[in-house]
Amino acid sequence: MKFTLHIWRQKDTTSKGSFETYKMEDVSEHMSLLEMIDVLNEQLISEGKEPIAFDHDCREGICGACSMTINGRPHGNMKGTTTCQLHMRMFKDGDELWIEPFRARAFPVIKDLVVDRSALDRIIAAGGYVTVNTGAAQDANSIPVPKESADLAMDAAQCIGCGACVASCPNGAAMLFTAAKIMQLALLPQGQPERKKRAIAMIEQMDKEGFGACRNYYECEANCPKNISVRFISRMNIEFLSAATAKSM
Amino acid sequence: MAIFSFLRSTVLSKIVMAITGVLLLLFIIGHLVGNLQIYLGPEPLNTYAQFLKSIGEILWIVRIVLFVSLVLHIITSLYLSSINNSAKPVKYQVVNYAKAKINSRSMLVTGIMIFAFITYHLLHFTFGITNPEHYEQHELTVKKAYVLPGNVSEEQLKSMPKNCFVEQNILTERHDVYKMVVLGFRNPFISLAYIVAVVLLGFHLSHAIKSCFHTLGVTGPKFTPWMERCSTIFSIIITLLYVSIPISVLLGLVGGGV
Repeated sequence: MKFTLHIWRQKDTTSKGSFETYKMEDVSEHMSLLEMIDVLNEQLISEGKEPIAFDHDCREGICGACSMTINGRPHGNMKGTTTCQLHMRMFKDGDELWIEPFRARAFPVIKDLVVDRSALDRIIAAGGYVTVNTGAAQDANSIPVPKESADLAMDAAQCIGCGACVASCPNGAAMLFTAAKIMQLALLPQGQPERKKRAIAMIEQMDKEGFGACRNYYECEANCPKNISVRFISRMNIEFLSAATAKSM
Repeated sequence: MAIFSFLRSTVLSKIVMAITGVLLLLFIIGHLVGNLQIYLGPEPLNTYAQFLKSIGEILWIVRIVLFVSLVLHIITSLYLSSINNSAKPVKYQVVNYAKAKINSRSMLVTGIMIFAFITYHLLHFTFGITNPEHYEQHELTVKKAYVLPGNVSEEQLKSMPKNCFVEQNILTERHDVYKMVVLGFRNPFISLAYIVAVVLLGFHLSHAIKSCFHTLGVTGPKFTPWMERCSTIFSIIITLLYVSIPISVLLGLVGGGV
């Protein structure tokens, strides 16, 4: 297969970036998009040029490291897939691909396609955990969890924190990420003791990081590689309202 | 100001947008029900208008609530828009939306245009400033009254039976809203502005109503798709009913006798 790639090149955070065009010939349809860039990088290195920097880790679609926007869609056009699982057979021979880093104020570009997503880590650090006593774990069955709650919590817990929701949102909002991380714990008994404190702390941190607000575009849901539902944002709003009113009493 | 401290939180701001939006939507529905009485003729519409003016305090409470809602709705939306713009300083080279339709992406623009129209609409029909010749319409109506018998004190009046008084018809003057609306809409430019504004309003509502449900947490896997369809249909119905009034006037179906 043949492709024309327009890839964003940027030396570092402060320098001005631009698109570079690369022609790719003989691309196997079984390659993932990342593997195609691997091949391109080998070529660039052999020509003595700087290879394209991009984030990747597991290449199994579960770590959330790979972050790039392909033809305007984070992780590409295929639903419920990360970039590493996006295979070239999903494109047409001769396609032109525009590959850009995830765009948001809170995600500054470090180099080329690599962005700094530690703003999401700081939201987690603000309260996205449960505090447990050390010592032997108690018997697993001693805390009953309703099946519906467990299922819903698992749906939220699918979030791999890749930041595609932020990247796809025209407002650069991190509501889907924050909602999934708040609700996965709010739905389970283990999350109850810190439930209200958590909702307030994580949402305050989200606002501090300079993310935008939700305008119900639902781009985040459409581009989430784990198909997380925007209904978690709805639930988060109520979670926040009840926590904020309880705090003021 | 302390009242605007909610703006520090994007989630609270969204909730304020939703609640003020619901209040404004209730007004839009109420106003439509009032307006549709034009199809019943001059008498019911003018009586309704007279009734609205007669309830004084309640009317002012409603007006104040609406005014505060509108101000909060506008300030919050402008503030959120500035946050949203700064949160996405670099746009993508290729714009490829998956779900965001034109109605959701144009909320700020349609909102500003609707506000501009509301201002004009109030100057036209409520304050009678832009076209006083439309506004200054009065009609005479007959009211029943009793003739006061000579020198009687108020105390005595209360103790007197009704049949002591002579009943008479008197003429009173009231605002002729029917004539004002018909004259206003006979101007094709005013009608066109009204129709454009109402279509924009319908467009705004087609995203706004489902957003209200979403923001206020009224969602569910089966409920949400159903609710989204209903809000689209509801927005279309509201738009068509509002638009029907100037069209009926222009076609001469309403207000032929004016």
